[in-house]
Amino acid sequence: MRKGFIRKLEPFRILSNAQVEYIHSSTLEVLEKTGIKLESDRALKLLKENGCRVDFEIKVVKFPPFLVEEAIRSAPSSFSVKARIPEDDLHISPSTLYFMPAAGAKLHDERTGKLSIATLEQNNQGVRLCDALETVDFQASYCPFFELKDVKPVMLLAESQASIARNTTRVSRGAQATDSFIWEARIANAVGKQLIGTIEGAAPLCFPEDAINAAFEYMDNGFPIWATGGSVMGGSSPVTVAGASISNNAETLAAITLIQCYRRGHPVIANDFVIPMDMESGNLFFGAIGSGFHQMAFNQIYRDLYRIPTSNAMAAFPNSKLIDYQNAFEKTHLAMSAALSGASMIAFLGSVSQELAWSPLQAVIDNDSANIIGRYIEGFEINSDTAAIELISEVGPSPGSYLGRKHTRENWKKEYYVPKVFDRLSYQDWERTGKVSVIDKAKQRTEEILAEHNVKPLSDDEERQVRKILDDARAYYMKKGLL
Amino acid sequence: MSNYIQRLKDIVTDFDIDNAQAVAKEAIESGVDPVAAAAALTDAIRQVGDAFGKGDLFLPDLVCASEVLKKAFPVINEAIEKSGRKQASLGKVVIGTVFGDIHSIGKGMVATLLYAAGFKVIDLGINVKGDDFLKAVKEENADVLAMSALLTTTAMEQKKVIQGLKDAGLRDRVKVIVGGSPINQEFADSIGADAYGATAPEGVKVIKRLLGIE
Repeated sequence: MRKGFIRKLEPFRILSNAQVEYIHSSTLEVLEKTGIKLESDRALKLLKENGCRVDFEIKVVKFPPFLVEEAIRSAPSSFSVKARIPEDDLHISPSTLYFMPAAGAKLHDERTGKLSIATLEQNNQGVRLCDALETVDFQASYCPFFELKDVKPVMLLAESQASIARNTTRVSRGAQATDSFIWEARIANAVGKQLIGTIEGAAPLCFPEDAINAAFEYMDNGFPIWATGGSVMGGSSPVTVAGASISNNAETLAAITLIQCYRRGHPVIANDFVIPMDMESGNLFFGAIGSGFHQMAFNQIYRDLYRIPTSNAMAAFPNSKLIDYQNAFEKTHLAMSAALSGASMIAFLGSVSQELAWSPLQAVIDNDSANIIGRYIEGFEINSDTAAIELISEVGPSPGSYLGRKHTRENWKKEYYVPKVFDRLSYQDWERTGKVSVIDKAKQRTEEILAEHNVKPLSDDEERQVRKILDDARAYYMKKGLL
Repeated sequence: MSNYIQRLKDIVTDFDIDNAQAVAKEAIESGVDPVAAAAALTDAIRQVGDAFGKGDLFLPDLVCASEVLKKAFPVINEAIEKSGRKQASLGKVVIGTVFGDIHSIGKGMVATLLYAAGFKVIDLGINVKGDDFLKAVKEENADVLAMSALLTTTAMEQKKVIQGLKDAGLRDRVKVIVGGSPINQEFADSIGADAYGATAPEGVKVIKRLLGIE
């Protein structure tokens, strides 16, 4: 099972208990009085049977508080997910932090910032690179690339899931667009792993049909569900963090209630994906503190009150078009606040240029960052050995030194992480050896990994099945006139 | 016999400071040739040094291994002297942190690594006055004077000491190496030092090069 980072630090709480209660009761009020639009007759019928008031005309469901609170109680606080190999199995819980790469449409050139469309082979390499990075615990959807030169858009998710099946042994996410879940679930079953399936909303207060169909399909396959409201503050949710917390929470709890009504006790991870609008341009405001506050409040409510694990996706995307200081800062402050406030999963590695690009070099750099961020929540040990009082006495005042001591030799690696690609040379050595930057070192490390790293291949039978599934997908979309 | 040779190597590669002296004593008492015993230790420390150079081991490992030698060597050296043979020494190094500067860790590391490498080391400590450096160089007939300065304000002391050597007619008798984080090659050249070491392990290599040692 993947270890991830084991949380020992007490999560950082930004809300008082009273504020948590206020957000929760306000959410119940929105669910009871305003309701959520669910564009699926199947979902509407199911919720009606479970005690909701449903307007089939406008497809709006009003949820009674007891049902929502029952759903919160029956969703488990931790659960396992099976990978292609046992070492990659996940155990999602409040105690463990896992990282995943971020999605990106195109391939990024680290020298110029120019974006180009990747090939399926580059996608394969990106997945294999992620497999080699020890902080990539889970492979995200649309990742590394969601535009591929040699793949028709409607086939993207099926081909991407096949690429993931072939090039990594990690658990991966299943998406929902254009019935992709049919093929993604079949591919996962063919290669003997589980997905974390999805239900993603269309704010405000709405879940479209393909999202709901995806959830049912993934649940029927026994796959846990990743539930996301997802909104733009000031656009599809209130501009205030408090208001956006309530509306997003209503959306997320609606999804969780639907899931629990369909299968009581079905595992869910609640994903926070809320971002302010950039009021100068109308674009999404990546790297914003609004997302930071939102996810911290979300993590606290779900951890303390609901006991449902959370994922935070907003650390994934920087505004910066380059691998630079702004990129690092925008992603790190969000990832740190996510980690410190108790997220169980954080989307992080490889993204550059908003949601538009992915860079293997960025992923290698982010692997070092993720190691440090994750290490923070593991804290440090305080016991009689680490306190080293006898040693302090032995070494004594200056000119005593701790360097040649067994205690130093045995403990230094536990105390801090040494980055693989960050430059740490002295100025003299840096000048003498060609002024090598973190990007140069990441490029070298990327090439080394791709030259050396192998993944357990699919068996001949598994490969045959995957090809058949892709053929079936092509036939299905051709019949629908989408291919 | 060969068992003791291996055990002497093992105490170095296992970083067993606590048992170092006892194992060295046992080896000598059981009849191991002290020169062979010394060679076992230096072989082992070279192995550790190579692993450090490759990035497989780190400073605490290197210094701990050197501390093992610090505990084991006195027993072996005594046995070599008693046998009437000459103690192998690569040279004599006087080392210290300059006047006004109390930083000791880097200097201590260099001293320990030099000792482990087979040099006779006279460590004058910290905050060492110029005259004390000159006195030690003269009295010990040192091959190398190694000075450490960790502050930009005290780095100039190194220049003063070198001038002192010239004034005392000692400059040609001794190689001077300087080190410490504010020090660089340019500074070392400007004050008339023979060499500069950026890190402790590099300092040992540079000293060997200065003395024409492999």
